[in-house]
Amino acid sequence: MAIAATTRRLSASERLRRSLGNGRVTAALILLPPALLIFTLFVMLPLGESVWYSFFNWNGYGAPTDFVGLENYQRIAGHSIFHKAVGNTLKIVAISILLQMPLALLLALLIYRKTPTNAVFRLIFFLPFILAEVAAGLIWSFVFDGNYGVTASIAQSFGAESFFILADRDWAFVAVMTVIVWKYFGFHMMIYIAALQSVPEDLIEAARIEGAKRRQIVRYVQIPHIKPAIIVSAFFAIIGALQVFDIIIPLTNGGPSNQTHTIVTYLYTFGLTRLNIGFGSAVGVILFFAAITVAIFYQRFFMGKDKA
Amino acid sequence: MAEVRLNHVEKAFGKFTVIPDMTLTVPEGSFTVLVGPSGCGKSTLLRIISGLEMPTAGEILIGGEDVTLEEPSNRGISMVFQSYALYPHMTVAQNIDFGLRLSKTPADERERRVAEAARILALEDYLDRKPGQLSGGQRQRVAIGRSIVRQPKVFLFDEPLSNLDAALRTQMRVELAQLHQSLDATMIYVTHDQVEAMTLADQIVVMNKGRIEQVGAPMDLYDRPETEFVAGFIGSPKMNLFPASAIGRDDAATIGIRPEHIRTDHENGDWPATAQVVETLGADTILYVTADGIGDMTVRLPGHMRLAAGERLFLTPDPEHLHRFGSDGRRLTS
Ligand SMILES: Nc1ncnc2c1ncn2[C@@H]1O[C@H](COP(=O)(O)OP(=O)(O)O)[C@@H](O)[C@H]1O
Ligand SMILES: [Mg+2]
Repeated sequence: MAIAATTRRLSASERLRRSLGNGRVTAALILLPPALLIFTLFVMLPLGESVWYSFFNWNGYGAPTDFVGLENYQRIAGHSIFHKAVGNTLKIVAISILLQMPLALLLALLIYRKTPTNAVFRLIFFLPFILAEVAAGLIWSFVFDGNYGVTASIAQSFGAESFFILADRDWAFVAVMTVIVWKYFGFHMMIYIAALQSVPEDLIEAARIEGAKRRQIVRYVQIPHIKPAIIVSAFFAIIGALQVFDIIIPLTNGGPSNQTHTIVTYLYTFGLTRLNIGFGSAVGVILFFAAITVAIFYQRFFMGKDKA
Repeated sequence: MAEVRLNHVEKAFGKFTVIPDMTLTVPEGSFTVLVGPSGCGKSTLLRIISGLEMPTAGEILIGGEDVTLEEPSNRGISMVFQSYALYPHMTVAQNIDFGLRLSKTPADERERRVAEAARILALEDYLDRKPGQLSGGQRQRVAIGRSIVRQPKVFLFDEPLSNLDAALRTQMRVELAQLHQSLDATMIYVTHDQVEAMTLADQIVVMNKGRIEQVGAPMDLYDRPETEFVAGFIGSPKMNLFPASAIGRDDAATIGIRPEHIRTDHENGDWPATAQVVETLGADTILYVTADGIGDMTVRLPGHMRLAAGERLFLTPDPEHLHRFGSDGRRLTS
């Protein structure tokens, strides 16, 4: 034990001496401060400020003076609409991983090969992602309109009564999730397409010779090969779900009766529009820590393994 | 073990015809090597036999059965790729086992065959490693192991040694020859390296631009090349080929003579020449000379030979070993 400790210390000092010698420390000393400065200015300061405001009852005008301690957090914790918003956010995570990603993977498998027709399909499937969120929300709010919308006319053609899905307490969020899947599956599909194109053709041919069927090639050769891409896309799906906002506002604005809020629309509605900046800050802080948790989890469980 | 027969096989990619019309028989149990310059269609032909490519016309028979429309996995073949094509996320054992697992072979049988393959290929210590942790030669062995365990009737190899260094290539060549003897299977082997072809094959198929130039045993091709192309392709250093008119003959268009069939002398001989470069290899000496009125020529002499560049000498061809080719490039027989 003692010997091991000594060698480790020696090698550490040795390492320091070498890195001083080869200029790596110098490089770090020169290159780190700007990055650190920017990080402090644009991440740490606003975050610190949010944490600070979250301890006040403050409407955003003047200096915050009404210190309330953890009261904002207590109010959030007890607020049923916040629970609903968290639940909805988790539903978006679930639908992204269980429906959107498999759908994107299926389409990617169908059109990843470079042919002219596939290029057209790729573009079509990618269009929703390019569209601005607000525009997508507006388009779909017309589609879902109970008087003139596409869904209404379909329902009518089946002889059903016209209905306002976005005004339905039980179905509004289903509609919202449909739009979210539609909006973002193209992004995941593109990640998978890029990854699938990097699978050597030889591997697939070798599997064919060994008797693998199409389904088995997908399962035993292609999916294991693109696993890193699938993990990255899952990470994006989760982080994206935590941020869903501008699609909801034009669609339902959180309604009916606050049934379709996500954490961010909740923050916006109950923090910003009602001038509870302290309260909103507290929601923001919670959201930030949720995102950080996901990022750390991702780092620990996936990034490390990739390197090994 | 099975015979492979190609009947008027044709292959075109769009308008571009790679193989115009190929008829070939690979005898049961033979080690047949397809050899030819890069781009002549060897891989395409092998892929047609394997079923990875469909021929545009013609038929393929394996063991007397028409397999032209069969899936690759139903042809009783296995293939070793130039890139090895090992699954990077599987261990060596899983790679070798993959085909057996798919075919739902009983577990104990699978285990036995994988162990047997690992023993033959000296892979026992590496079964739990991933391909990324192996050297090139070891990866090659895994690829071969994967094809052995399926007990195919025909083994297909597409330039399996071209990614290995020279020493390893020689060693693997010997191992492949031994493998062929012990497995007693039909092997079809593609290479652009004529040394590999000469040492491994009992039948060589020389291809050029999608056509067969000549089929035969290595020494037949060496001693009696049927075309000028084969004459120039088989043998190292290459056969000397020059216009017959340069030596005043009119009974052929082109004359060929192998480097080892030329004698040299300082005083007299048929063709006066000037030495350009001398390579002493130990066992023999390769002489690059310019023969007056004929052109550049290579001469191979046994043992050492002291000669300086620029020195004059005389060359005398062994008349027994002159090869004559007509204006169509085909061999002329007296
Ligand atoms: N899938 C393909 N599409 C179009 N051309 C091809 C294809 N595969 C091979 N070729 C062409 O066929 C010719 C022969 O190729 P190949 O059989 O790989 O040659 P070799 O293995 O003898 O080097 C080459 O000119 C190549 O460009
Ligand atoms: Mg090739």
